[in-house]
Amino acid sequence: MNRQDLKTIIYAEKAKVENNKYKHKIGVCCGAGCISSGSEEVLKKLQEEVTTRGLDHDVEIIPTGCMGPCNQGPLMKYLPDHTIYQKVDCSNIAAIVQSQIIDKKPIEHLLLFADTREKPFRDAREDPFFKSQLKIVLRNCGQLNPERIEDFLVHDGYQALDKTLCEMSPEDVIAEIKHSRLRGRGGAGYPTGLKWETVYKYVNDQKYVICNGDEGDPGAFMDRSVLEGNPHRVLEGMAIAGYAIGATKGYAYIRGEYPLAIKRFETAIKQARKMGLLGTDILGSNFSFDVEVRIGAGAFVCGEETALIASIEGKRGTPRPRPPFPAEFGLWGKPTLINNVETFASISPIIINGGEWYSEIGTPKSAGTKVFALAGKINYSGLIEVPMGTSLREIVFDIGGGMQGGGEFKAAQTGGPSGGCIPAGHLDVKMDYEALTNLGSIMGSGGLIIMDQTSDMVDVARFFMEFCMDESCGKCLPCRVGTKMMCDLLQKICDNRATQIDLDRLEELAIYVKETSLCGLGGSAPNPLLSTLRHFRNEYQNRLIRHEQKDQIEVPSNIQV
Amino acid sequence: MNKLTIYIDDKQFQAEPGKSILEVCREHDIEILTMCHLKGVNDVGACRLCLVEIEGMSKLLSACTTKITANMVIHTKTERIKKYQRITTELFFAERNHVCAVCVANGTCELQDLGYKVGMDHIRYPFLFPKCEVDTSHPWYVMDQNRCIMCTRCVRVCNEVEGAHNWDVKNRGYQVRIISDFDTPWGESITCTSCGKCLQACPTGALWPKAIVQGQMKKNPEIIDELMERRKMIL
Ligand SMILES: Cc1cc2nc3c(=O)[nH]c(=O)nc-3n(C[C@H](O)[C@H](O)[C@H](O)COP(=O)(O)O)c2cc1C
Ligand code: SF4
Ligand code: SF4
Ligand code: SF4
Ligand code: FES
Ligand code: FES
Repeated sequence: MNRQDLKTIIYAEKAKVENNKYKHKIGVCCGAGCISSGSEEVLKKLQEEVTTRGLDHDVEIIPTGCMGPCNQGPLMKYLPDHTIYQKVDCSNIAAIVQSQIIDKKPIEHLLLFADTREKPFRDAREDPFFKSQLKIVLRNCGQLNPERIEDFLVHDGYQALDKTLCEMSPEDVIAEIKHSRLRGRGGAGYPTGLKWETVYKYVNDQKYVICNGDEGDPGAFMDRSVLEGNPHRVLEGMAIAGYAIGATKGYAYIRGEYPLAIKRFETAIKQARKMGLLGTDILGSNFSFDVEVRIGAGAFVCGEETALIASIEGKRGTPRPRPPFPAEFGLWGKPTLINNVETFASISPIIINGGEWYSEIGTPKSAGTKVFALAGKINYSGLIEVPMGTSLREIVFDIGGGMQGGGEFKAAQTGGPSGGCIPAGHLDVKMDYEALTNLGSIMGSGGLIIMDQTSDMVDVARFFMEFCMDESCGKCLPCRVGTKMMCDLLQKICDNRATQIDLDRLEELAIYVKETSLCGLGGSAPNPLLSTLRHFRNEYQNRLIRHEQKDQIEVPSNIQV
Repeated sequence: MNKLTIYIDDKQFQAEPGKSILEVCREHDIEILTMCHLKGVNDVGACRLCLVEIEGMSKLLSACTTKITANMVIHTKTERIKKYQRITTELFFAERNHVCAVCVANGTCELQDLGYKVGMDHIRYPFLFPKCEVDTSHPWYVMDQNRCIMCTRCVRVCNEVEGAHNWDVKNRGYQVRIISDFDTPWGESITCTSCGKCLQACPTGALWPKAIVQGQMKKNPEIIDELMERRKMIL
């Protein structure tokens, strides 16, 4: 297929949409959250209802990716008006069809947030939950059927690839990405353009592009939602990267716990190949590129780039010391570009709208938007996307709808097991890479857990330490034994059996493990501990046995003192 | 070849590019403590004992795996490094069951030597005392997991030098163990050629021949490198 053929297909598809044979379009959220609350049932029942009423020729029903407010699911959206119904179950489908399709007016008490807002919005885009967000990565998530490439084409799909191949040189692409100031969304925030340029400069007849979809942090589901909701967007980003750095082969490493993401991504690859958007001489250019999926076994450490590469090579997934970095010595020893799912999903909007446009969103050092998996003791949780530099207060109170049951905000945990906590005193922090690092936390991949006064910070630290202890690959000593020792010491504090000496030893170990571990897992495992110590030291101190209490310690009767 | 100028502990040296920091230090008798490094096989950077400070780098880097670059300024004996070497040593002893008095390697053990070198007089961490297996199924050799420090020297020697790949690693975190073939008794191994190289490579009393008793072990890990050098001459 060449450029003209693609245009023809898109025109044909757009024409189909415009002279829509259907009068109505309903989307049922089939993101992970909604599926777990029963949206597949809803989808089936809705189809039956429409059929029974003989409306098959008027109503088009599509399964979509995550719409956002996952804890209100299953969600159903009347697409023309952006009217969203929440907590839909099979018993109220008939009523919704009757009123929305036949009578043409929504049922107020079933609308999104109807149970918590004084007046819910008929157009969900007006609701503060959506109004405070800016969707770039997630723009088409929840709008299109992720299993139809035609849906994506109608939403400007593969236009960016078309533009790069026909109008831009690899140097132009890299310059545009550099200009956008996009930083890697996998955790460390390394400038993407710079990384592409580095790989581009290594001369080799074979280079690789890897998409990191391992997403091992507990509670994170950003990458999963993008892969499930708009897989073609990621594929397009990978192909553009391949063109820019001179690679002909890409791998998407997706964890085995995400069967739906794997299925949809594989479907996307097949469809793209069939249309000639992957394969040889893409769109009539002389650029060839193909992608394969590799399934991970769900080890957190396999998200670390060198361990991930070992895993793709069929070896035990353990990290190796860097340098050399994958850009120089990566998959099978070849120069390799490895980026996160969200990073790749940000590429096509940048190519289409220009680096300048992107760089103006966000803060001076962190451009663009960030997707967060918002969870915890807030009213509305789910998947959100905000410009960098949005304050934590806005996220918690405007988007999240405030604390559950009128609780008191105590802290926000960012970055999962590699991150830290932001206490109430810093609610106005403008969330970007630098600000979070200054507070002793990290942006990480985007997990955001809101905690209220009932959360015990020592226990939070112990939970994440236990996670890192279990997930340590066991290759290097500081992480292997250090996390175990720290976990035991934290347990001792939780059980009120520890003394000041234990706490001092714990702190010393934390810094030791952070500075000596081989990879980022050990290097960041002490972060939750160190950050809770920084902001909530009294909670640790209050648990310790003090010297003057030593006579009150109960000694088990079988021990002679 | 143009030599590079580097600085180690405030002294200037000339060294060939491509060498690791460790190699250069050893050439000039600058002591770097190591445990997972074994001359003759590839380095993995696992024990973290050989960490050095490099000016301009925020991270400590392992001397065994880091190649020198021009004008590198390296410090090998700062207070921080010494403190970390001591903690690493203590954690090695606390991880499994190192009872030197009843160990075959008593007197020839690199871990024991390390304890002396860093001046370890006691261990500040609780002993984990895991229940570990002792595999005596091989007709001549014994594998005692209790003494293993997971340096993987045996794994690399068996794979890279003997070409048998009998040893590998299973599990994660502090539960990692060295396994023979697919986690079957050593005596039933279909890959082991009984060459005995892993016994020589092992720094501790984890691998030893049955014919000896407590404190009788003689080890010569340098043999691995000698072997590799001789092979190079033949080729
Ligand atoms: C323990 C550990 C786990 C990681 N897990 C992930 C992950 O799940 N997904 C990811 O994209 N990056 C992960 N990373 C970061 C990757 O090593 C790498 O930096 C990233 O994929 C680079 O992509 P980016 O430049 O687009 O951020 C992890 C790093 C460490 C140390
Ligand atoms: S820091 Fe932990 S996960 Fe990373 S190499 Fe060391 S043991 Fe493995
Ligand atoms: S004796 Fe030789 S072949 Fe057998 S495990 Fe040891 S190194 Fe490998
Ligand atoms: S058996 Fe010996 S050589 Fe092998 S990993 Fe254990 S300590 Fe190292
Ligand atoms: S999964 Fe349906 S809104 Fe997120
Ligand atoms: S000797 Fe360098 S890390 Fe073990």
